[in-house]
Amino acid sequence: MHITHANRDHDGPAVQTEGLTKRFGERTAVDGVSLTVPRGTAYGFLGHNGAGKTTLIRMLLGLTRASAGEASVLGLPVPEQRAQALARVGAIVEEPSFYPHLTGRENLKIAAAVRGPETRARIDQVLRRVGLDQRGGDRVGTYSLGMRQRLGVARCLLSDPELLILDEPMNGLDPGGMLDVRRMIREMVEEEGRTVFVSSHLLDEVEKTCDVAAIIDGGRVIAQGSIAELVGGSAGELVVECDDAERAAGLLAADPAVHELRIEHGALRMRLLAPDTAGEINARLVGAGVVVSRLEPVRHSLEERFLEMTTRLEVAA
Amino acid sequence: MTTNVTVARQMVGAELLRLRKKRGLMVLALAAVMVPLVVWTGYEVIEHAGNPAAYAPAGGLDHYARFLSLLGVFMGPVAAVLIGAEAGAGDLAAGVFRDNVLTGRSRMALFLSRIPAALAVTFTVIAIGFAFAVAVTFAFAGGLPTPSGSLILESAAWLALANGVVCVIAIGLASLTGSRPGAITALIGWELVLSPLLVQSTSLGSARNGLLDGVLLFLKPGPVSGAPVLTMAVAVAVAVTALWAAVLPALGARRMQTRDA
Repeated sequence: MHITHANRDHDGPAVQTEGLTKRFGERTAVDGVSLTVPRGTAYGFLGHNGAGKTTLIRMLLGLTRASAGEASVLGLPVPEQRAQALARVGAIVEEPSFYPHLTGRENLKIAAAVRGPETRARIDQVLRRVGLDQRGGDRVGTYSLGMRQRLGVARCLLSDPELLILDEPMNGLDPGGMLDVRRMIREMVEEEGRTVFVSSHLLDEVEKTCDVAAIIDGGRVIAQGSIAELVGGSAGELVVECDDAERAAGLLAADPAVHELRIEHGALRMRLLAPDTAGEINARLVGAGVVVSRLEPVRHSLEERFLEMTTRLEVAA
Repeated sequence: MTTNVTVARQMVGAELLRLRKKRGLMVLALAAVMVPLVVWTGYEVIEHAGNPAAYAPAGGLDHYARFLSLLGVFMGPVAAVLIGAEAGAGDLAAGVFRDNVLTGRSRMALFLSRIPAALAVTFTVIAIGFAFAVAVTFAFAGGLPTPSGSLILESAAWLALANGVVCVIAIGLASLTGSRPGAITALIGWELVLSPLLVQSTSLGSARNGLLDGVLLFLKPGPVSGAPVLTMAVAVAVAVTALWAAVLPALGARRMQTRDA
């Protein structure tokens, strides 16, 4: 299944916002957010609950008006050309809802009727795509949360969208369900060429699923870039485990290439001025008779970076 | 243009699917219409069998007129309210309204698709009740006069008008309030309690000409069935009916346009 729209080769960003703001009375839920979501990527929109993720999605989909700023979806300004944009978008906001007394297939029939005549022929295809072809004839009231999430994705896919906007798609899923959704998102990006915008407060899932991410906190975007860039703040940090950490620390203490040297849980931890000098550090320690059992560059997780950034902001405030 | 017609047809078909598959609603609507008809007929059959001199047969023209009142201004409208309220607020209750809005389809189109679907279901339920009433009228006439073919056709049209108007009012009110139970309670209270009382309140004078039940009883074909008949010009009756059929659906449609999805 591949995007068949004539516009699939457009180069512009899938979503672009400039100074997008939403105020509810005195409270500013989204504060001057400028985002660029590249096409053909899984884009993570990361933030605590209440950080402004859903409000921003609702503005993008024209469900609520922005107080200030501009937004475009697939090159079309919203809300001005909302209908044309949404014809090429599949979205789940908060959680997918269905008529519980109808079967999965019947629910898709209703969605297809609203979407347009060409989508009806895709019902079986999308049910297969999300692995619900065997349960399509069962009433949705009997579905698990994971199955409803997958049916929600199936409903999004009915219109063969270029862009999918999924609000917290992992919410409430068990590990198996999360894996299914993660795999589905990767396939939609890598094999089908779609753009998937995923909002989540589950940092680990975003790190595993997305190529690019933005971090939102208190309604403001505090960082955005590729996952590698976002976690890349740890470049040059090294951890060394050896038979005598005190002695090793003494040997390296005066080294001008080594900064912030400390012993943590019996291991040496340091920041190197040049990350490629790790081998030299190893040679010096081994040469001095220190037995090195582990030498590893530190790689922060997105979760650590996220907490670091949001904590820094809280302290600054 | 062809695509728009196809989309409209499919949307109405989808609404129809949603309504007719709601088993509880269908059973309740059918019961609202059929149970009083069956119980009443059974009672009258037994009464007549027990004392034919004192009690007339359960069929014939007089009973037919009462059946019509029951189907047109009492229990038929209850079924119409149940179906209309589900059509008007069922998607809001299920949370599907937002997903429908997210397709980019106009909210007006979403609203309008509810009306023919709800009318189709309402007419089907009323038709079953009417078929039963006609069958009883002839089967238990016992020599009494029976309605003519033209009266039966006029009656069918009147029932469609009476229940159709109530159905679209229910769609409008449910869409306006976003609450199915609220719309059902308000309209059934109005239909079964308040409106009949007001129609019988002679102190209201010609103000009763503005009441839908009064107007519908005025338009009802066939013999008078006991309920008071107001006097008014046909044009007034048509205008009042049209007003009832337009105002609440228009307000409901307006609310659909502005409702937070």
